[in-house]
Amino acid sequence: MDFSSFLLMRQEIILLAIILLLLIAEIFIPKNKKSSIVHFAIFLFGIHTAAGFFAINESSIFGGSFQTNNLIHFFKNVLNIGVFILLLQSADWIQEKIVAQDKGTEFFILLFSSLLGMYFMISSGDFLMFYIGLELSTLPVAALAAYETSKRISSESGIKLILSAGLASGVSLFGISLLYATSGSIFFHDIIGAISASNLTILGFILFFSGLSFKISLVPFHFWTADVYEGAPISVASYLSVISKGAAVFILMILLFTIFKPLMHVWENMVYVIAIATMFIGNLFAIRQQNMKRFLAFSSIAQAGFILLGLISGTQLGTATVVYFVMIYIFSNLAAFGVVQAISSKTGKENMTDYEGLYRTNPNLSLVMLLALFSLAGIPPVAGFFGKFFLFTAAASEGYYVLVFLAVVNVTISLYYYLLVVRAMFLRKGENPIPFFKNKLYMRLGLIITVIGIVVLGLYSPLYEYIYELSSIYNS
Amino acid sequence: MDILSLFVVVPVLTIIALVFAKGLKQARLVSMVGSMVQLGMAINLVFAYFKERAINDGIMVFTKDFVWFEQFNIHYAIGVDGISVALLLLTAIVVLAGVFISWKMPDLPKEFFISLLILATGVYGFFISIDLFTMFVFYEIAVIPMYLLIGIWGSGPKEYSAMKLTLMLMGASAVLLVGVLGIYFNSNADGGALTFNILEISQVNIPFEAQKLFFPLTFVGFAVLGALFPFHTWSPDGHASAPTAVSMLHAGVLMKLGGYGVFRIAMFLLPAGAVHWSWFFIILAAIGVVYGAFGAIRQTDLKYINAYASVSHLGLVLFALLTLNKIAWNGAIIQSLSHGLLTAMFFALIGMIYGRTHTRDIKKLGGLMKVLPFIGAIYVITGMAYLGLPGFSGFVAEMNIFVGAFQNPDMFHRVLTILAVSSIVVTAVYILRLVGKIMMGPLVNEEFKDLPKATWFEKTGILLLLIPIVAMGVAPLWLSDMIMASLEPFIKGVL
Amino acid sequence: MDVTYTILIPLIPLAVFLLLGIFSQKIKPAVSGIIGVAGLSTSALLSFYTAYQYFFVHGKVDGVYQAIVLKTTWMNFTDTLKIDMGVLIDPISVMMLIVVSTVSLMVHIYSRGYMKGDDGYTRFFAFLSLFSFSMFGLVLATNLFQIYIFWELVGVSSFLLIGYYYTKPSAVSAAKKAFIVTRFADLGFLIGILIIGFYTGTFDFETLNTVNHETGELALNWASTSFMGLSVITWALILMFMGGAGKSAMFPLHIWLPDAMEGPTPVSALIHAATMVVAGVYLVARLFPMFYFVEDGYALNVVAYVGAFSSLFAAIIALTQTDIKRVLAFSTMSQIGYMMLALGVSKYEGHDGLGYMASMFHLFTHAMFKALLFLGAGSVIHAVHSNYLKDMGGLRKYMPITNITFLIAALAIAGFPLTSGFFSKDEILVAAFEHNKLIYFSSVLVAGLTAFYMFRLYFGIFWGKDTQYKHAPHESPLSMTLPLMLLALVSLFGGFIPFSKYISADRVGFEAHLNYPLAAVAVSVGLIGIALAWAFYKKENNLADKFSNAFGVFYKWTYHKFYIDEVYLFVTKKIIFNLIAAPIARFDKKYVDGTMEGIGNKTVVISNKIKGLQSGRVQDYAFGFIAGVVVLAMVFIYLWTN
Repeated sequence: MDFSSFLLMRQEIILLAIILLLLIAEIFIPKNKKSSIVHFAIFLFGIHTAAGFFAINESSIFGGSFQTNNLIHFFKNVLNIGVFILLLQSADWIQEKIVAQDKGTEFFILLFSSLLGMYFMISSGDFLMFYIGLELSTLPVAALAAYETSKRISSESGIKLILSAGLASGVSLFGISLLYATSGSIFFHDIIGAISASNLTILGFILFFSGLSFKISLVPFHFWTADVYEGAPISVASYLSVISKGAAVFILMILLFTIFKPLMHVWENMVYVIAIATMFIGNLFAIRQQNMKRFLAFSSIAQAGFILLGLISGTQLGTATVVYFVMIYIFSNLAAFGVVQAISSKTGKENMTDYEGLYRTNPNLSLVMLLALFSLAGIPPVAGFFGKFFLFTAAASEGYYVLVFLAVVNVTISLYYYLLVVRAMFLRKGENPIPFFKNKLYMRLGLIITVIGIVVLGLYSPLYEYIYELSSIYNS
Repeated sequence: MDILSLFVVVPVLTIIALVFAKGLKQARLVSMVGSMVQLGMAINLVFAYFKERAINDGIMVFTKDFVWFEQFNIHYAIGVDGISVALLLLTAIVVLAGVFISWKMPDLPKEFFISLLILATGVYGFFISIDLFTMFVFYEIAVIPMYLLIGIWGSGPKEYSAMKLTLMLMGASAVLLVGVLGIYFNSNADGGALTFNILEISQVNIPFEAQKLFFPLTFVGFAVLGALFPFHTWSPDGHASAPTAVSMLHAGVLMKLGGYGVFRIAMFLLPAGAVHWSWFFIILAAIGVVYGAFGAIRQTDLKYINAYASVSHLGLVLFALLTLNKIAWNGAIIQSLSHGLLTAMFFALIGMIYGRTHTRDIKKLGGLMKVLPFIGAIYVITGMAYLGLPGFSGFVAEMNIFVGAFQNPDMFHRVLTILAVSSIVVTAVYILRLVGKIMMGPLVNEEFKDLPKATWFEKTGILLLLIPIVAMGVAPLWLSDMIMASLEPFIKGVL
Repeated sequence: MDVTYTILIPLIPLAVFLLLGIFSQKIKPAVSGIIGVAGLSTSALLSFYTAYQYFFVHGKVDGVYQAIVLKTTWMNFTDTLKIDMGVLIDPISVMMLIVVSTVSLMVHIYSRGYMKGDDGYTRFFAFLSLFSFSMFGLVLATNLFQIYIFWELVGVSSFLLIGYYYTKPSAVSAAKKAFIVTRFADLGFLIGILIIGFYTGTFDFETLNTVNHETGELALNWASTSFMGLSVITWALILMFMGGAGKSAMFPLHIWLPDAMEGPTPVSALIHAATMVVAGVYLVARLFPMFYFVEDGYALNVVAYVGAFSSLFAAIIALTQTDIKRVLAFSTMSQIGYMMLALGVSKYEGHDGLGYMASMFHLFTHAMFKALLFLGAGSVIHAVHSNYLKDMGGLRKYMPITNITFLIAALAIAGFPLTSGFFSKDEILVAAFEHNKLIYFSSVLVAGLTAFYMFRLYFGIFWGKDTQYKHAPHESPLSMTLPLMLLALVSLFGGFIPFSKYISADRVGFEAHLNYPLAAVAVSVGLIGIALAWAFYKKENNLADKFSNAFGVFYKWTYHKFYIDEVYLFVTKKIIFNLIAAPIARFDKKYVDGTMEGIGNKTVVISNKIKGLQSGRVQDYAFGFIAGVVVLAMVFIYLWTN
C-alpha cells in the first residue's frame, strides 16, 4: 500500500495532530496565559472542520479494517460542525470554570480523542476497529462527565456512565464474539456472505445491538441517560446527546443495512418494538421533568425513538432520512443546550420555573429556544418538521402505517412538554425572571450558527438531495 | 412574482417590517398597511380570476409549479379556483378587520401583530397551494401561532385553553399526516410516479381499500378544525380565552381550513372513500348542527354562545359537504364565507362590549341598546343575519344547503335534512334570547349609563365585515356562479 | 302593459328605510315623518295607478285577467331550479297593493300625530318603511322563494315594531314570542317549499298554478310520489299552510298575536290587523289552483276547518277580554278565520269560485275597518293613557270624531246592512252555505258573537258610566282624525265595489248577487248580538257580571284564552330548555369534553406512575439492561422467529 492511501484517514490524522499540538501547547503556554488555549483549540478545530469539506476518494485500507466513503466522510463533517458549535458554546464556561482549575487543555484533548474514537467507529471495516473506536469514544467522555470535580453530582454521573458503559461494551463484545463464532470472521464484508439466521447469530446480534442501543439510549438501555446528563457539565451532556448519539445511530444503521441485512426479518420487528417503547417511555418521562437537562435527556431519548422509524425501512430512503434527521437533530439540540448553557453559566439556574418570563428579559435567547423546541417538536417551517416528516415517509413507504400513527401520537405528546417550556418563557411573567444579560462572542456565534442551521436545513432542499445520492452506497 | 405567491410574500414582508417597528403606533400602522395591500390583492384577484376563467377552463388557474424536494416529488405548487378565490377574499377582509379591532393592543403589540400575520400567512398559503405537502406545511404554520396568541394575550384560563386547543388541533393534524402519507403512497396506483400534487392525484384511481382506510383519517384530521362533533370541545374554551382579534381570525378563517381541507383533500382525492363513509360522518355532522344549537341556548357567556353557534353552523358546512350534492356544496362554501364574516363580526362586537363593560356574562348585561346605539344596532343586525334572515349572506348559504340536501330522496337523508333545517328555529331562539337579554330591556347596571361610544377604528372594522355580508345576501348570483363553476371536478368523483 | 315602474312601489320605502336608518341620529324627527309619508304616498299613488291601468286600461285579454310577470334571476340552484326576483301583477296582487298602500299611508299620517315626542320617532318611521317594503315585496312575489324571503322580512319588521319600546320587558318578550312562533311556522313553509322544489322542479307561481283548460285539471303532475297515503304535493301544501297559519295567527299558532299588541297601536293597525296577518290568506289564494286541484282539495279542506275553528275560537275568547287592543286582536284572528274558511270552501270556476272572491273581498274590507278600529282605539288610548275598558266610558262627549268613526267600523264588522262588512261577510256565508253546512252554522254563530263583543267594546268605551278622568280627555289632532275619517268612508261604501267582476279564482270574473234569505239571517243574528251588547253594557248594570258568574268555569277558561299560552310555556321552558338544552350543555362539559380531557390527564397520570423505573441506582440500571437483553433474546429467538 502506498503512502497516499493514508489520505483516506485525513480527518483522523488531522485530529490526532491537533491533539498533539494541544499537548505541546500545554507545555509551552505560560501559566498566566492559559485561557488562550481555548482560542487556540477553537482555531485549530475550526481549520480542521473547514478542511473536512475537501472531497475524499472512497476506498479501504488495512485489509479493509478501515474504510471510508463519501457518506461516512460527510457524516464526519456533520460531527465536526456539531463539535465546533459545541466548542463555541462552551468556550466561556471553559475559560471561567475549567481553565481556572488549570484543566483546560485536558478537556479539549479528551473531547477530541472521543471524537477520534467515533471517526474510527463509523469508518470501521471490522469489529476490532469498531470496538476500539467504541471504547475510545466512550471512556474520555466518562472522564469529561466527572469533570466538575467540585460538584458531587458530577462525579456521580461520571461513575454511572463508566459503569454502564463498561457493561454495555462488555455485552456487545460478547455479541461480537458470538458473531465471530458463527461467521468465522470479524471483517464486515466476509460476514455479509457468511451470516445466517441461526439462533446463535441472532443472540450475538441482539447482544451487539444492545451495546449500541446503550449509546443511542434506546429503551430499555436508556436508564443512565437522565442521571448522567443531569450531573455532567452541560457541554458534555450536550455532546453525549448529539455527537455520540449521532455517531452511534450512523454506525448502527450502516451495520443493519449491510452485514445484518440477512437478519432483517428479525431486526425489523425488534426495531419496531423498541421504537414504540422508546418513543413512549421517553415522552412520558419527559412530561414531568423540571430540570432542563433531564428534560432534554428524555426528549433526546424520544427523538432516538423517532430515528428508528427511518431505520426500519432499510432502504436508501431510510438511510437518507436518518442522516438528514440526525443532522437536523444535532443543530436543534445544540441550540437548546446552548441556551441552557448560556443561562446556567450566567445564573446557575437550570429549572423550567427559572425560565418564567424569560422572553420579556432576554427575548433573543427565548426565540432561539423557541426555534429549537419547535424544531424538536417538528413544527414547520423549521427544519425539524422536514426531518420528522421524511422519517415518517420512510416508514410509511414500507407500509408501517400503524407505527407512523403511534409516532404521530407521540409527536403530539412531545409537543405538550415542549410547549411547557414555551409557556414558561412566553406566557408566564414570573416573579423574579432572569435579568437581561449579554452573551460573549463565542456563545452568540454558537447560537447563531445553530439558528441558521435550524432555519435553512429544512427549507433548502438540495442538501437533502445530496445526502440521498450519497446514501445509495448502502442500498445497491 | 406571480399573483398568488404575493399572498405569501406580502404578509412575510409585513412581518419583517414589523420586526423593525417600534411601539404600538408603528406596529399597528405597518400591519394595517400590510393587510390593506392584501385586501387590495384579494379584490384584484377576484377580477383577475373572472378574466382568466373566460380564457382558461382548467380546474385551477394561475397555476405555478416549482420543484422543492425532487426525490419525494414535493413541489411548491399553487393555483386557485372559485372556491379558494372566495376564501382568500374572506381571509383578507377578516385579517384587516382584526387589525382594526386590535387597534389598542396594550401588551407586546409588535409580537401580537407578528403572530397574527404568521397565522394569516399560513392561511393564505393553505388556500393557494395545490400540493399536499406544501398545504400541510402551511396548515401547521397557521395553527401553531394560536398557542402564543391565546396564551399571551388571552383572558381567563388562557394557558389551559391555549394548550388544549393547540394539542387537539395538532393531534388532529398528526392524524391527518398519516392520511396524507397514505394518499401519497397510493398516488402511483395507475403506474405513475408518486406525487403530492392534488390535481395529478385526483386523476388517479386510488384503490378502494386504500380510500376506505385513509378517508376517515384525512376527514377527521381536517374536520376537528371544522369543529366536528364530538371533537369540537377545543373551540368553546379556545374562543372564550382568546383575545378578540384572535377569536375573529380563528372562528372566521382558521376554522374554514377544516371544511376546505375536507372538501379539497378528503373528498376530492378519495371520492370512493367519501361515498363509502358519508353515511357515518353525516350523522355526526347533523348531530353537531342540532347539538351545537341547543348547546348554545343555555350558555351565559357571550363567547361560549358564539362558540356553540359556530359548532352548529360549521356542522352545517360538513353536513352539506357530506350530502355529496353540488347545490349543497355550493351552500357549504357560501356558508363558510358567511359564517366567517358573521362570527368574526360577533366576536368583534363581543370584544367591544367586553372592553367597555368588562363582563361577558349575559346575566350582568342588559339594555345596552340605549347606551351603545351603534353597537346595539349592529348587534341586532348581525343576530338577524346569523339566524338566516333574507338579505344577508347566511340565508343564501342555508337555502343552498337545504335545497341541495333535499336532492337525496331516500328517507335517511330526508330525516337528517329536516333535522338540520329545524335548527334554524333553535338558532332563532338563542339569538333572540341573546339580543333580548343584553341589548333590549331596561339597563341593568347603572355603571353602564355612560359607556364610551364606538370609535372610528371599531366602526371601520365592523363595516368591513358588514358590507360583504349584505352584498352576498342581496346579490348572491356572481358568487354562487363563481363557486358553482368550480364544483364540476369534485362532483365527477363522487358520481 | 309595461309594469316596470311597479318595481318602484317596494323600492321607494326601502330607500326611505335606508335613509332614515343610516342617518337616524342626524335627521330631525319632524323631517323624518315627512319623508316617510312622502315616500309612502308615492308608492300609494303608483299602486292606484297600477290598479287603474291593470283593470281598466289593460283589462282582460281573451276574457281573462292575464298575469303580467317581470323577473330576473337572483340565484341559480340548477339550470332549471332557480330563485327569481320580480313583480307579478295579477288581480289579487293589485288588490293587495291597494290595501297595503292605503292602510300603510293612513298609518303613516296617523303616526305623525300619535308618536309625536317619542324619542325613537325616526326609528319608528324607518321600521314602518321597512315593513311596507317587505309587504309590497311579498305581495308582488313571483315565486315561492321570493315570497318566503319577504315573508321573513315582514316577520322581522314585525319583530322590530312589536319590540319598539325595547326597554319594556313585556314588549321584548312579546316580540321574541311573535318572531319565534312564526319562525317555527315558517319551518313548515320552508320544508313545503323544498318539497315543491324537488318534486316539481320549479318555484314559479305561474308554472305551478297553470290549469290545463282542455282537461280542466292542473298541468302539474302531482300524483307521481306519495308519502303515507297522500301525495307529497299535498303534504307540501299543508306544510306551507302551516307557515300561512303562523303568520295569520290561526289556531294553534295564534298565541303571538295578542301579545303583539305590545307594539305601538298604529303598528297593530297596520301589521297585526290589516296587512301582514292576512299574508297567510294571500298565500293560500296565491296557490289556490294547487290547493284546489291537488288530491281534490285535500289540503284545502284543512284550510277550511282550521279557518272555521279559529274564527269561532277567537270570537269566544274576544267576548271576555278587557284590554281593548286584545279584543281587537282576537277579532282579527276570528275575521281571518272567515277568510280562510271562505277560501277553504271555494271552488275554482265561475260562480262556484264565490268563496275565493268573498275571501279576497273580506280581506279588503276587513283591512279597512279593522285598521279604523285600531286607529280609533289608538286615539282613545292616546286620550286616556290606558288599554283597559275599566278606565274608559262615556268618551263620546269628549271625542266625537273618534266615536262616530269607531261606530261605523263596529257596524261594518258586525255586518250591518250596506256597510262594507255586510257585503263581504254575506258572500262568505253564502259560499259556506252552498258547500259546507257545518261551517256555515259556525260562521253564523261567529257573526253573532262578533257583533256582540264589538258593541260590548263600543258601548264600554263611549257610553256607560262616565269615569272620572284626572285630566279631561280630548279629541286627537287632525293628523290622527283625518285617517280615521278617510277609512270610515271606505268602511261605509267599500262594499259597493263590484269585486267579483275583477277578482275570481279563475281570473275570469262573474256576477255576484246578494242572497237575501241568507243575508237576512246574518243581519238578524248580528242585530241580536248588538241588542244584547246594548242591554249589557249601554247602561250601568250588573247583567254582565251575573252572566259571567253563571258561566263561571266557561268564563274563566275564555278569559284565560283556554290556557293555550300556558301549554306552550310548559313545552318551551320545561321541556325544551330544561330537558334538552340544559342537559346538552352539561353533557358537553362533562362527557364530550371530559373524554378529551381524560386522554390528556391519563397520559400525565401514567407518566407519574412509571417514575419509579428511574430509581437513580446504577445497579438497577444494570439489571434493567440485562433484563432488556434477555427479554429481547427470548422474544426474538424463540417466539418471534418467522
